[in-house]
Amino acid sequence: MTVEFESYPEIKDYAKSVAEPKWFTEMRIKALEAQPMLKLPNFEKIRYQRWPIQLKRVLKKHFSDSKLLAELNIEETKHLIVQLGQDTVRATGLSELEEQGVIICDWQTALEQHSDLVKKYFMQKAVKYNEDLLTAQHVANLTSGLFVYIPKNTVVKEPLTTYFVQDATAKTDYVHHVIIVAERNSEFSYLENLTTIGSEETTANIIVEVIAEADSHVKFASVDRLGANTTTYLNRRGHLEDNAKIDWSMGMMNDGNIVGDFDSDLVGNGSHSEVKVVAISTGKQVQGIDTRVTNMGRHTIGHILQHGVILSRSTLTFNGIGHIIKGAKGSDAQQESRVLMLSTKAKGDANPILLIDDNDVTAGHAASVGRVNQEQLYYLMSRGLPKKIAERLVIRGFLGPVLAAIPSKAIEEQLRVTIERKLVDGQKDE
Amino acid sequence: MSILEIKDLHVSIEGKNILKGVNLTMKTGEIHAIMGPNGTGKSTLSEAIMGHPAYKVTQGEVLLNGENILNLPVDERARAGLFLAMQYPAEIPGVTNAEFIRGAINARRPEDDAISVRNFLKQLDETMSVLDMTEEMAERYLNEGFSGGEKKRNEILQLMMIKPKFAILDEIDSGLDIDALKVVSRGVNKMRGPEFGSLIITHYQRLLNYIVPDVVHVMMGGRIVKQGGPELAKRLEDEGYAGIRDELGLDIKLVDEDA
Repeated sequence: MTVEFESYPEIKDYAKSVAEPKWFTEMRIKALEAQPMLKLPNFEKIRYQRWPIQLKRVLKKHFSDSKLLAELNIEETKHLIVQLGQDTVRATGLSELEEQGVIICDWQTALEQHSDLVKKYFMQKAVKYNEDLLTAQHVANLTSGLFVYIPKNTVVKEPLTTYFVQDATAKTDYVHHVIIVAERNSEFSYLENLTTIGSEETTANIIVEVIAEADSHVKFASVDRLGANTTTYLNRRGHLEDNAKIDWSMGMMNDGNIVGDFDSDLVGNGSHSEVKVVAISTGKQVQGIDTRVTNMGRHTIGHILQHGVILSRSTLTFNGIGHIIKGAKGSDAQQESRVLMLSTKAKGDANPILLIDDNDVTAGHAASVGRVNQEQLYYLMSRGLPKKIAERLVIRGFLGPVLAAIPSKAIEEQLRVTIERKLVDGQKDE
Repeated sequence: MSILEIKDLHVSIEGKNILKGVNLTMKTGEIHAIMGPNGTGKSTLSEAIMGHPAYKVTQGEVLLNGENILNLPVDERARAGLFLAMQYPAEIPGVTNAEFIRGAINARRPEDDAISVRNFLKQLDETMSVLDMTEEMAERYLNEGFSGGEKKRNEILQLMMIKPKFAILDEIDSGLDIDALKVVSRGVNKMRGPEFGSLIITHYQRLLNYIVPDVVHVMMGGRIVKQGGPELAKRLEDEGYAGIRDELGLDIKLVDEDA
């Protein structure tokens, strides 16, 4: 197929300014041309369609002022990447990983230096560019990201920590892509911090693809704190081959409206995905979280555990989807979604959805939406604890089972701190 | 010295009148016992003083050092010096006993003067040994999976650590064997002193052998009908509540009495 560059001068100019490879620009145009045929994805009970979630701004290079980072608290870790807007501002402790053959680089560098590898994985195995309108817009407008490649039999001992800072000091959209490829029999651990500086009304469209090849093990953790005026589509998807495992631990601590689409495709026999989500909604925000695990291979395991808390007038919806495809014999799909509401004006939903197309499987679900136990609050307050502290203690107990199940103690601790801060802030609106 | 006064207290729950004019005055340095048959409003009195939202005060006052506390929320009453050892303490998963008790102590102190961890742990260790509690109880989640006896001890542990002016003990003896009863009593007796007063609610005289009260009140039909010294409790043990009722000519049906 030939693509007519000249019809899209903005894309052409942008492609030229960043010197991206031709195949990639062609893919942008293909994605752009596919859009009229595509629809917004549908997520049960999450009505986001009228939000400003579609990317409408012109593709262009935006330079951020690195002084903005001064207001951010970045914890030093052994392997660290910090990106502000479309720029990488720090990359430390990567050389020893490079000696192991590991590739960790930002999107522009990846396209420049590892074009064939990116081409092999980008929107090929996990997500497809023409899956829906949001994925197509993503490809057409992509401006930043990270590429991680762990060669076979390689064990990366210390986790890689990333900070992706959306620059909302200007009205630019944030379109960001992360690819993590864990080759056969490799191990990799990753912590992503998504955050926002600035308060302009912006749209973020973020896709993370984790490709876990046979016998690999990826621990993926995230602490998401996007700003109040950022409307976000956040898609994280794992593609798991034979006996691969992904541990997902995600803290949805954003302040704005967001759709989180967290999926694991258990393609290979014996593959295993554990998904842990904690979420807190505050103010007037809406967080819709659609977590899906699809068992395709035999003897695959997909477990979802998500607990969330809702304050003020905010909304939190958890969908848990366990889908066992015909032929996935001996597979197991389990899920638990629980929502705790702190105010009478909060809206919460927990929807278990099990789609079972094979007989020789095990599956189960638990879901609940409830209010804070008044006897617990009374008891704590009767010892002199103010109501807000008492509420936070009850919430901590409620989120405890998810936090305790997170494989890394450091991430569990970081989440606890973030939860406490989000709750304290959220309680100010009560 | 502090003084707790209950004046003409009327309380209802779910529209049903339970307390019909309770009067009682106590000072720190004193231990009072309230005895009475089942269903007479003893627990209602304790919950109403503490401020449980389900109990509605329809008339009367509760004064702590002359100030009416009935319009204060529960936590402020607690910080003003009241404590209720509950009959059925709530279980709070995810929060350890030690951090909870430390939080409760710090809630009474200025923000910049929190108790030091070291000092706290020392006090906690000492107090737990008075109550024959094992160290691991400090790190367990608050009341979660505790046996009935462990919960009662834990209530007394909190009482001893928080050091309120007035503690109401709501049937702290129920479900305790004799050894546990002695331990719990030891804890309460250790608190005795000029700055501490306690209102002990019980069915049975037995507890009062170990914690000897200064004043015994008999409650029936939502009122205090008789007061006396420790000997009154002994008389109740011998004669039962029916004896007092008939002596006073009260028209009250006892819950456990045959029609």
